[in-house]
Amino acid sequence: MEGESLNKKIDEVLNSTDGIQQAMPRPFLFTRIEARMQEEKNIWSRISSFVARPVVAFACVFSIIIINAGVLWFSDISATPGTQQAPEIATADEYNQVNYTLYDFENAKP
Amino acid sequence: MTETELIDLLKKRDRAAFKQIVETWQGMVYNTALSILQNAEDAEDVTQEAFIQAFESVAKFKGESKFSTWLYRITVSKAMDHIRRKKRKKRFAFIESLYGTNDKMVVDPPDFFHPGVSMERKENAAILFKAVEQLPPNQKTAFVLNKIEGLSYNEIGGVMKISDSAVDALLQRAKGNLKKILKDYFAMMNKG
Repeated sequence: MEGESLNKKIDEVLNSTDGIQQAMPRPFLFTRIEARMQEEKNIWSRISSFVARPVVAFACVFSIIIINAGVLWFSDISATPGTQQAPEIATADEYNQVNYTLYDFENAKP
Repeated sequence: MTETELIDLLKKRDRAAFKQIVETWQGMVYNTALSILQNAEDAEDVTQEAFIQAFESVAKFKGESKFSTWLYRITVSKAMDHIRRKKRKKRFAFIESLYGTNDKMVVDPPDFFHPGVSMERKENAAILFKAVEQLPPNQKTAFVLNKIEGLSYNEIGGVMKISDSAVDALLQRAKGNLKKILKDYFAMMNKG
C-alpha cells in the first residue's frame, strides 16, 4: 500500500466510529440488578467473595509466615546452652554415668 | 422529577428512584462498558456492578460533579477491574494448560462489532476496536470517552480527575499510538 493511500485508509479507520449510535443492554436490566443485589445479600456469598479477594489471601499467607518466623525466633532465644545442658548433667549424675579414659584403666587400683 | 430530587430519594434507598436512575443512564453505562471491554456479556456484568456500586455509595456523592460524571467514573473503574480480573484468569488458565491441568485452549477473542456502527463502516470499526484494545488503560479510557461517548475534554477530565491539558496529551498519544498500530497492521496484511 502506497504512503498516501495508507494514510487515507488509516484516517478512514480512525473516523469509522463517527456518528456511532449508543448500544443498549438487554431489556429488564433493573430486574437483573435487583436479583443480583438479593443474591449478594446472602451472607455466604459475601464471605466467599471476601475470602477470595487477593488482598485477603496474601494477608493470610503473610500472617502465617510471620507466626512461623516468630515461633522460630522465640524458640532460639529460650534454647540457651546453659538450660540445655542442665538436664543432661542431672541425668548423668542420676544414673551414675561416667566417661572413663585410658588413664583410668591403666591406673586402676586393685 | 429533577436529578437532585432523584438522587435525594436514592440516598433514602427508594426503589422507584433507583429504577428510574437505571432506566435513564443504562445506555450510557452499558455503551461505555461495551466500548472498553468489547464483549456484550462482560459489559452487562460491569453495568450491573456499576449500578449496584452507585446505589451502595450514593451517600458519598456530594454533588460536586454531575451525577453522570460520577457514574462514568464508577463504570470506568469497574471496567478496568474487570479487565485486570480477566487477565489474571487468562494467565492462570495458560499456566494450567502448560501443566496439563486445564484442557481449555487459551484463545484470542473474535473481532468485536459494536452494534451502533453503520453497516458500511463495520469492518473499519472492527479494525479500530482491535487497535484500541492494545492501548494503555488511560489512553483507552480517554479515547473511548471522547470518540464513542462524545465527551468534551473538560468532561473527560472530570471523569478521570485530570486537567484538560492532560486529557489533550492523553488523546494525542492515543491517536499517535493508534496510527502506529494501524500502520503495522496494514503492512502485515499486505505481506500476508
